[in-house]
Amino acid sequence: MYNYIQKKSVMIVLLLASMFFSQAGVLASTNSEPMEQLQQSVNNILRILQSEELRVPGKQEERKQLVIEVVEKMFDFRQMARSSMGQHWNTITEEEQDKFVGLFKNLVEERYIGKIDSYNNQQVVYKKQLVKDGKALIYTDIVDKDLEIPIVYRLQEDNGKWLINDLKIENVSLIVNYRRDFDSIIRKEQFEGLVEKITKQLEKSETSN
Amino acid sequence: MLHITLEPISEMHLAYLNKRKCLIRSIGLILFLLLITETVSTAATEPDAAAETARASGEAVQEESAAEDDAWGEDGWEEDWEAPVVLADPLEPINRFFFHFNDRLYYWVLKPVATVYAGFIPEELQIGFRNFFDNLRTPAKAVSSLLQGNVRDSLHEVARFSLNSTAGIIGFGDFAKDVLDLRSSYEDLGQTFAHYGAGGGFYINWPFLGPSNFRDSLGLLGDSYLHPLFFLDAEWGVIIGAWSLDKVNYTALTLGDYELFTKTALDPYAAVKDAYLQYRKGLIENK
Repeated sequence: MYNYIQKKSVMIVLLLASMFFSQAGVLASTNSEPMEQLQQSVNNILRILQSEELRVPGKQEERKQLVIEVVEKMFDFRQMARSSMGQHWNTITEEEQDKFVGLFKNLVEERYIGKIDSYNNQQVVYKKQLVKDGKALIYTDIVDKDLEIPIVYRLQEDNGKWLINDLKIENVSLIVNYRRDFDSIIRKEQFEGLVEKITKQLEKSETSN
Repeated sequence: MLHITLEPISEMHLAYLNKRKCLIRSIGLILFLLLITETVSTAATEPDAAAETARASGEAVQEESAAEDDAWGEDGWEEDWEAPVVLADPLEPINRFFFHFNDRLYYWVLKPVATVYAGFIPEELQIGFRNFFDNLRTPAKAVSSLLQGNVRDSLHEVARFSLNSTAGIIGFGDFAKDVLDLRSSYEDLGQTFAHYGAGGGFYINWPFLGPSNFRDSLGLLGDSYLHPLFFLDAEWGVIIGAWSLDKVNYTALTLGDYELFTKTALDPYAAVKDAYLQYRKGLIENK
């Protein structure tokens, strides 16, 4: 309870601060608080996870789809896929790029949504946000089993909407990690090998679920 | 009416009382030192009255402005986000062999054992065990903080160790964090070497121990001498038993994480190696 009040008061301070700054003309628009947007999306996901109706065994797939729906609006998957390919991105055709974005999206969803079935009322603490030139970093903690796991989101503004283009869990960046991983495959087996591997991997996790 | 009977105090009892007195005194001393360092350091970080009022309106606000200064440094934050971490891997064939070995070990031994363990031991107790093993690593953390010239963090670790070993019931509870908000700084000798400019050397994937590098392996060896089990001269059987329990307990608490990560990686070896590098880099830079 105390924590909640504290968080609330921090939010109010942040809100007041943002109002002050927007008046001073430092921030261009008032409705573009990235942390607020992230919080809303995360709350939507938590609402799905906490819903008693969706917790029954038969509704697992529906639950996952609902979460994916929210997630897809939060992330800029095209930008992420591009950045995870590094210099290899420009060596493939536009068609291949489109195909890769889809595969990449599924892979990331598998890694980060795969754990939702074990969701057990973990708390999210929003620590701070840094905003500059349409880019933002949001620092959060997930409290899981009495342990605080730091997660930092990197976002970019796109027509008033803040989209995540990378996140760091305990300092490990999703994009950097996949870039090394993909690079290790592309070097040996080219882009075709990479596509084949991702497809196989996704099929495997599909059957194991 | 109160009856006070004076019994001859046995020598053992006297020794016990003395020990207790000693313990209470040392805890008192630590709390006192802590108070002094807290006061000195907060006084040092707050040069003006404006900061004072900011602090009064909520600690988080102050924290924000302090961290903001770091993040908005001249170097820029975008470049810093993906700062390259490169580490030579001349032992790759051997490393890959032991990666595979550890992977099999996980699926064939560790996971089944941890699954059964998790079925019997309630989660609260698992967290207790994790705290207990973490507490045993505190002396090494305190020394590393001190070696990096961070007296305050070092004292925090000393306080954490003495408080959690006593009030935290031999380390099962994290009294220091829950009551006094004293958090661990998670330092180790490998980070200390890095602090003084040592590079990682090359990547090593140890059997049983997992990912490491040359520098951190040396650090691990040094840290082990500061582990209570070592300086209490425990038998090898006890050490291996404790290590196994620590490992099983940790696996029980994170069941599923390893599978999820390696199954969504295309070259799990490369992905784990990179995750280790990024993770260590974050720890070294105290992010």
